[in-house]
Amino acid sequence: MFRSLDSKLLKKSLLALGLGAALTLTGTAQAGQYGIGAKATPEEIAGWDIDIRPDGKGLPAGEGTVEAGEALYEQFCATCHGLFGEGEGRWPVLAGGQDTLTEERPTKTVGSYWPYASTLYDYIRRAMPFTAPRSLSDQQVYDITAYVLYLNEIIEEDFVLTKDNLASIKMPNEENFFVDPRPDVKNKRCMKNCADPKKLQIAGTLRGITPVGHFVEGADAPAASHDAQMEQEQHKEKVRKATLKGETLAAHGGSAKAALSEMATAGKSTYDGACKVCHGSGLTGSPKFGDADVWAPRIQKGMPTLVQNAIKGFTGDTGVMPPKGGRVDLSDKQVEEAVAYMVESSQ
Amino acid sequence: MSNIIKGPSTRELMEQMARESEHLSINDRRDFLRKGVAAAAGMAATTIAGNSVASEINKANLPPNEPAWGKQLGHGVVEHPYGSPSQYEKHVVRRTVPWLTADSIASISMTPLQDMQGIITPNGLVFERYHGGVPQIKPDEHRLIIHGLVERPIIFTMEDLMRFPSVSQIKFIECPANGGMEWKGAQMEALQFTHGMLSCCEWTGVPLKVLLDEVGVKPEGKWILAEGADGSHMSRSIPIEKALDDALVVYAQNGEMLRPEQGYPVRLLNPGWEGNTSVKWLRRLEIGDKPWYHREETSKYTDLMPDGRARKFTFVQETNSVITSPCPEKPLVQKGFLEIEGLAWSGRGKIKQVDVSFDGGVNWVSAKLKGLVLDKALTRFSLVTKWDGQPWLLQSRAIDETGYVQPTLSQLREVRGGNSIYHKNSIHTWKVASTGEVTNVQIT
Repeated sequence: MFRSLDSKLLKKSLLALGLGAALTLTGTAQAGQYGIGAKATPEEIAGWDIDIRPDGKGLPAGEGTVEAGEALYEQFCATCHGLFGEGEGRWPVLAGGQDTLTEERPTKTVGSYWPYASTLYDYIRRAMPFTAPRSLSDQQVYDITAYVLYLNEIIEEDFVLTKDNLASIKMPNEENFFVDPRPDVKNKRCMKNCADPKKLQIAGTLRGITPVGHFVEGADAPAASHDAQMEQEQHKEKVRKATLKGETLAAHGGSAKAALSEMATAGKSTYDGACKVCHGSGLTGSPKFGDADVWAPRIQKGMPTLVQNAIKGFTGDTGVMPPKGGRVDLSDKQVEEAVAYMVESSQ
Repeated sequence: MSNIIKGPSTRELMEQMARESEHLSINDRRDFLRKGVAAAAGMAATTIAGNSVASEINKANLPPNEPAWGKQLGHGVVEHPYGSPSQYEKHVVRRTVPWLTADSIASISMTPLQDMQGIITPNGLVFERYHGGVPQIKPDEHRLIIHGLVERPIIFTMEDLMRFPSVSQIKFIECPANGGMEWKGAQMEALQFTHGMLSCCEWTGVPLKVLLDEVGVKPEGKWILAEGADGSHMSRSIPIEKALDDALVVYAQNGEMLRPEQGYPVRLLNPGWEGNTSVKWLRRLEIGDKPWYHREETSKYTDLMPDGRARKFTFVQETNSVITSPCPEKPLVQKGFLEIEGLAWSGRGKIKQVDVSFDGGVNWVSAKLKGLVLDKALTRFSLVTKWDGQPWLLQSRAIDETGYVQPTLSQLREVRGGNSIYHKNSIHTWKVASTGEVTNVQIT
């Protein structure tokens, strides 16, 4: 009955009845069924539409060089990925690893594994550097992309990477990806005498690598969170040093921590979001949070010097502190608060 | 234990506290009493460090005595406007294996499956996986843009999304790396770490199909790029078929708005598919004619085979199961009656059957499915038996409604080798010793 009615008329009558949901019956092709949401403007889309495809779709105008990329890489990337893409700590290895994919321990890098160069541009642009995503210019992304491709011996030193030639770069491992063929394994539902008990090989686990302290009493195991693991290691280190000096130390967690100043308390969130990545673990020579010994000589320099070094950048004996740790969006005050938090927590 | 029994009675403690608090104001007195009572009750509480570390039992609270909590008043309403579990459940928490990742910001934590009941994971215990930490998103400043090969690109506010007719569905989410540490050998000495990258919630939101109808996908639109608003701007390419089938854009879980850890204020949910595709903090869906091959579908979340080639777009989480009781965290402590319980799940549909073996897979018996048996949801199974102190090699084997039978580890390794990281869904073995201790072993 409804179908025979003029759809506009129907809409009106239904709306008058307060039956907005029944509009689905009209099935208009022009607007959405519900008419919810606003038209996304080209400007709104452009600001967020950051993706790049293997065919080059999405690449912004510009070009990059290996030379310019080297300086940027050392400033923004080397701390975690290593000067030559070899990776620091557990951070990703970017270069090398060719011909290791069939080995016991394969090294999957941009050069040995990634199928498309576009992925590199896309990922650096959307997520790197880790502590300051979306802070690089399109130009800088071109430069760093060029340098990482160069580290992997995919382009020559004098290659100029552009919007137009990026898609034509052939990655060595491109042909080795294929679409999921699962289900690839067929088990049968057998109920009786399904295997020969004499042939069963039983292998247990390696002890001491699982965090089991929460249910195994007295286990010398890793903690079950990164922070607790760090505390555990710091405590072990303190005990070791104290033992060397012939001192005995209070039980773990027994010493009361001094209350933080207002400024230090305010710095915790900045520390968590910007500084912890390096200072939490002491990555590449950075003074490790909570380690009183490595902080002591630094604290002696006085807060104004420490804060200035953190804001402007500093090259010390053990490593490089980039200006504001690479987070140039932070205010000087935020950096000062974070320094206070680290200093007060490391005394 | 004896010193506790000899300690002052609750009445004596209460009287003492009342005397000492006489000079305090009513509010102070209330706080004082509460703290004092907590300190007294702490005799039992402080020893509960872990779930199997035996707590001291205060016999004064056992029959025929009237327990302390029966002789006093508890706290009133809205003392905790948003409640939390009992103080005696502090061991039921997410945990991680710190050496798995470089830091805690791009990392993963696991659900304590050993302490879960039924099939729903409480919101605070859903496993975490972040690539750039948890963003703190103000919902009225969040937007979802759908654009690309569409008739009408639309920008939605949260208010807009919540105006659409909603659906609520119970679905599991599993990280495809669940069990990934076990490819080359048994490694993790706990259920939480062998299988805990797995949770199941009731999700509420809008079918993605409804939103796609709203923007009008052009005929050449075959893939959708889903992108997050977090610092990692997580991105995955999703085939349009999945979007039109059962994908949801959800804003609530288990009756409340999503937790920040789970994508607040809105995330994608691809039921049964690898968790990484259910992009959290969803801000953008772009429709295109080809996949994007971004980092999380090339460098990561591809499965390396023994010949050096790699599988891509390995979306489905295949049928899997594990016994959750007993397990290393829940050893057998008493002989006699025993209910063996576990969880089974399939990314292809409903669980049809679960079998249990006591002898490492030589002989099997059927378990019972209990409670709800739902499409792409955790399904709980149960087998009632007796334990008389004999050693067991306990296994479970799930079969889904497509007829797929959960494979053995040998079968998986034969095809995929030991370096594929993802999608290890083989039959799992717990070794039960005559002492009742349960350990993780592999049978080949």
